[in-house]
Amino acid sequence: MELFRALACLVEPPRTESARVADALGLGALPLADEYTKTFVFQLYPYASVYLGAEGMLGGEARDRVAGFWRALGLVPPAEADHLSVMLALYARLCELEEDANDARAREGWRAARKAFLWEHLLSWLPAYLSKLEEIATDFYRRWGALLKDALAAEALTVGQQESLALHLREAPGLVDPREGSTEDFLRSLLAPARSGIILVRADFSRAARELDAGTRLGERRFVLQTLFEQDARGVLSWLGQEAERWAARLRLERASFGAVARAWEAKAESTSRLLAELKATLEEDSRAGEEFADA
Amino acid sequence: MSLKKLNERVSAARKETEARGETFYPGPSRIHLAAFPPKERWDDWVELDSRAWPRREERRYMLVPTTCFNCESACGLLAYVDRESLQVQKFEGNPEHPGSRGRNCAKGPATLNQITDPDRILFPLKRAGRRGEGKWVQTTWDEALDHIAARIRKAITEDRHNEVMYHVGRPGEDGFTERVLAAWGVDGHNSHTNVCSSSARAGYQYWMGLDRPSPDHANARVIFLISSHLETGHYFNPHAQRIIEAKAEGAKIIVFDTRLSNTATHADFWVAPQPGSEAAIVLSIANYLIQHDLYNREFVRRWWNWEEFLAVEQPETETTFENFELSLKKLYADYTFEFAAAESGVEATVIEEIAKVVATAGTRFSSHNWRSAAAGNSGGWQVARTLFFLNTLLGAVATEGGVYPNAWNKFVPKPIHVPGHPHTWNELTWAREYPLAMNELSFLLPHFLKDGRGKLDTYFTRVYNPVWTNPDGFSWVEMLTDESLIGCYVALTPTWNETSYFADYILPMGHGSERHDIHSYETHDAQWLGFRQPVLREARERMGEKIGSTRDVNPGEVWEVNEFWLELTWRIDPDGSLGIRSFAESKERPGERLTVDEYYGYIFENSVPGLPERAAEENLTPLEFMRRYGAFEIKKKIGAVYEELVPEEELEDVRVDRFGRAYSRAAKPASPNVVPIPTIDPDAEGRRFVGVQVDAEIRRGFPTPSGRLEFYSKTLADWGWHEYAVPTYIRSHVHPANMADDQTVLISTFRLPVQIHTRSANAKWLDEIAHTNPLWMHNSHAARLGVRTGDLVRVETETGYFVVRAWVTEGIKPGVVACSHHMGRWKLSEAGQRQMMATVKLDHEGTQWGLRRERGAQPYESNDADTQRIWWTDVGVHQNLTFPVHPDPISGQHCWHQAVRVRRAEAGDRYGDISVDTAKSREVYLKWLAMTRPADEFSPDGTRRPYWLLRPLKPSREVYRLPEQPEPVGAD
Repeated sequence: MELFRALACLVEPPRTESARVADALGLGALPLADEYTKTFVFQLYPYASVYLGAEGMLGGEARDRVAGFWRALGLVPPAEADHLSVMLALYARLCELEEDANDARAREGWRAARKAFLWEHLLSWLPAYLSKLEEIATDFYRRWGALLKDALAAEALTVGQQESLALHLREAPGLVDPREGSTEDFLRSLLAPARSGIILVRADFSRAARELDAGTRLGERRFVLQTLFEQDARGVLSWLGQEAERWAARLRLERASFGAVARAWEAKAESTSRLLAELKATLEEDSRAGEEFADA
Repeated sequence: MSLKKLNERVSAARKETEARGETFYPGPSRIHLAAFPPKERWDDWVELDSRAWPRREERRYMLVPTTCFNCESACGLLAYVDRESLQVQKFEGNPEHPGSRGRNCAKGPATLNQITDPDRILFPLKRAGRRGEGKWVQTTWDEALDHIAARIRKAITEDRHNEVMYHVGRPGEDGFTERVLAAWGVDGHNSHTNVCSSSARAGYQYWMGLDRPSPDHANARVIFLISSHLETGHYFNPHAQRIIEAKAEGAKIIVFDTRLSNTATHADFWVAPQPGSEAAIVLSIANYLIQHDLYNREFVRRWWNWEEFLAVEQPETETTFENFELSLKKLYADYTFEFAAAESGVEATVIEEIAKVVATAGTRFSSHNWRSAAAGNSGGWQVARTLFFLNTLLGAVATEGGVYPNAWNKFVPKPIHVPGHPHTWNELTWAREYPLAMNELSFLLPHFLKDGRGKLDTYFTRVYNPVWTNPDGFSWVEMLTDESLIGCYVALTPTWNETSYFADYILPMGHGSERHDIHSYETHDAQWLGFRQPVLREARERMGEKIGSTRDVNPGEVWEVNEFWLELTWRIDPDGSLGIRSFAESKERPGERLTVDEYYGYIFENSVPGLPERAAEENLTPLEFMRRYGAFEIKKKIGAVYEELVPEEELEDVRVDRFGRAYSRAAKPASPNVVPIPTIDPDAEGRRFVGVQVDAEIRRGFPTPSGRLEFYSKTLADWGWHEYAVPTYIRSHVHPANMADDQTVLISTFRLPVQIHTRSANAKWLDEIAHTNPLWMHNSHAARLGVRTGDLVRVETETGYFVVRAWVTEGIKPGVVACSHHMGRWKLSEAGQRQMMATVKLDHEGTQWGLRRERGAQPYESNDADTQRIWWTDVGVHQNLTFPVHPDPISGQHCWHQAVRVRRAEAGDRYGDISVDTAKSREVYLKWLAMTRPADEFSPDGTRRPYWLLRPLKPSREVYRLPEQPEPVGAD
């Protein structure tokens, strides 16, 4: 389906030729390359592995899973098989293969592949991803994201609901409880959307620092979060808790279009919110105990 | 708008854009590694000037394709020609090139350094003082051309044809100069191939008639490399990208390399065998396949010449395939894993594991050996032969993922003029002692001249630097400085080199982006043609100028060799009375000299199937198309040509002999592809060899005397080498049994991925990355000698020694030392490449030669500010000077590995010191000469050489016959 190919092309850095595509999609004038960089290179990395992998990082098992889909189709996976542009282009191709199939059996086969790819590899993260994009992007990419979300919702209707939730969503591990593991692992797991159910980008931490009146330090997200935590653990836990609740509420809105997938993300965000509340309570208790001890 | 409508709108926009021949979707960079400028914008491509940052300054470019000349792979380049200054700003990959597919190694973009090199030679120079004295005067092209043409004309008219010689390193073209020499009627072609790939060529040619493998790496299941092919060698960039594709698909990679090279690091199995033992290991793998019946029986039955083997070698045995299988099992039974382990030092269990992996490959087994072990060892040609043996056992020949004979994946278009074969045989290149040499005995030239076998009137070199590259360089200096041996030496070179210092004329020729050539290489299973062109000539023609000669656009008075040879040919025979001029004459304008436009225009119009039609689709002439895109793919997926049935019209009055060879009276159909293929003898009644009968059908077969894959080479048996008639293992000259206890093997041929033989001293980016060649030595070895990294060591060869610094590493087989190629460049005075050549002093007394470094590289002022930023002084050590010649008695290949003694340097030794006695070089030459089996004694039919074997410039058949009265040959 050409629509997806065209959308795919725009999640690459803008080039002169992309203007024709944007125009055909009615998205208006292309943004400058720096806006692309700001959105996709610094904030919302357009790779499935970041949102579906237990580490919340590029590559690894989550990327291999997407590459495995290419291999299962007898295709050579590209180096970055889980990049959104490549995935959307593959989806476009799957739609065409189904359309062009000579007989009913082949058509059914391609339909099954299309449906599996849509639910397992695209819808398993894109509702949350696009929701975040809507929050942080400027006009052009917000319009692009909205169009992609509409197109995906239409596809979900066309191919029908999935039989069961993708295994990698069902079996994704939860957050690390800092009372059992290390604080560092806890912070790291918070930044892995597959575990926490929430997507935290750099812009969020700048906002947190402003709201908590804390200083930010330059570095990777985990480092930034850690330095905030060191300055004001209670405040950060509280801020994160609110963020998780707000996020769960946002995901609730996706239920209508994306059903069980949206619910799975929502459930994770809620459980993150609960854990954060517990931790905050524990911290407050500990600090009271500390004060009493000091008084004695 | 509904999604459906939007979808339709995008489809319509795409259709409309693409119908205009424009790009709708820019290539996603994540799929193709890099995104390329769309073709329709090549005439006016806009980029921001990086140096203007942070200002956004636009620069407009014309993108003009050409072909890289910095190795043989002939990858596509795109020159970014600034539309204002009309200078090249940078080189990137050409996405339209089917071999390299837009990708390049570091050497491609470094072409920019070569064309802007402040030390390049810009004008024709003529020697002023004595030869080698370093005094030059600028001369004119006219003076040089007239002088050289007159000499050659005189030599030809006085019947001294064999005194004219052209000696080439990297040809970078398909037969242009061979045809020039044929037009002059001289057998004067000399190549560098015997210091390069002759050995591997022999191994392949004795199997399949064609001397080069074309592995289909991308589709292989198992890839077997005896080399560091992923990082260096030919055609490493086109091959490496395909090997990595296969690896991503799960292919297993086996690498034999004494060093832990970058290739070895990518292997599933890295084996570091004792140098020279490679064939023993490969044969043990073959034996495993044979003894366990894991070979492709049907393929072997149909395509091996086993019937000939049994009939000749075991006439008492009934000729059945089952009997052959029994013989085969017996022949190789001794090549056990344990035997291989004892020879190689590699554990038997490891070899067995590899054998099991090979056995899983089926017909998707790609293998490659080109130099490496084949070029290092005496008998090294058996390395390639035994490696291809595995392919023939598995049936992985011209299959998907297998190995093709090169000629099937190559296209050499028929040119406008085709001169006949010269009627003369040059014994200075094709000596009688080496009737089976794959190529000219080029590196023996000084010894042959000292033997008194002849002399040279006019000697050309091009892309060739024998004093530096060849073994025994001081013997070359002795030859070049003796005017009674070489009358006039003309160096055709864009840049200074160690040999050019001894020239009479230095004539500057253009670099890769300053000249014309066509190429076609077997990078994968397809046929393509690449076009090299002077990019500024094309750019200016696009701007509306008419350029008559490439000299008008090149810097200074730099020319190109195509136009030079045409002009020289014209001046040798200005009135046409010698019958030579016609080969340089225009067909369109008789009486005028052929132009390069007409030469290539004719080829693209008449000899490249599909090109005129493709060009017409874009309203271009075929020449315009090639000037615009730089490459054309003629055919994809050639497949197994040997299986093709010979069509009816080629079968006339057919005779089939007892081994199935089919001969026909029908004439050979004309083909526009004139890629060299062996000519197989006709039958006794003059019928042409047309194919082989396999199970009652006549198929194309292979261009070998038997028409099949030659497990058994009757040629070798007939010409005195019966013991090697089947693939076997020959112990190397550096086998432990052939060395003294205190000697060790020196590997001297490995390359650095960013250097170009002796042609990158003028590439500052490459020089900065790699500019020295320490001696690799294992920790245990270093500890024994008491040597640490950076210490000076003396490496003693048979003829002298060199002093170098040690580099202690675990990345090499213990007990073996290695020193890379490319380095140790030198100059005698300021004339030279200052970025990468040390200034040295030569000491010479009698046969004793010494070289001592006076000064390394240092910063200097030039029109390039970067030359002030040269931070390195060390440019390595010129080890090749200390190597004597080691010509393999069969292939003629120089066997590079050296048996050396390594010890701590002596007091007074300085880094880079060289000491050589050329009298000792002479002794070694004579010792190896004595191992030959000369044609005079061993020729089975009174000829000098088997006629079917390839020869770059083939003389007419009658001169193959040995003279009735043997002429005196040899030194004694």
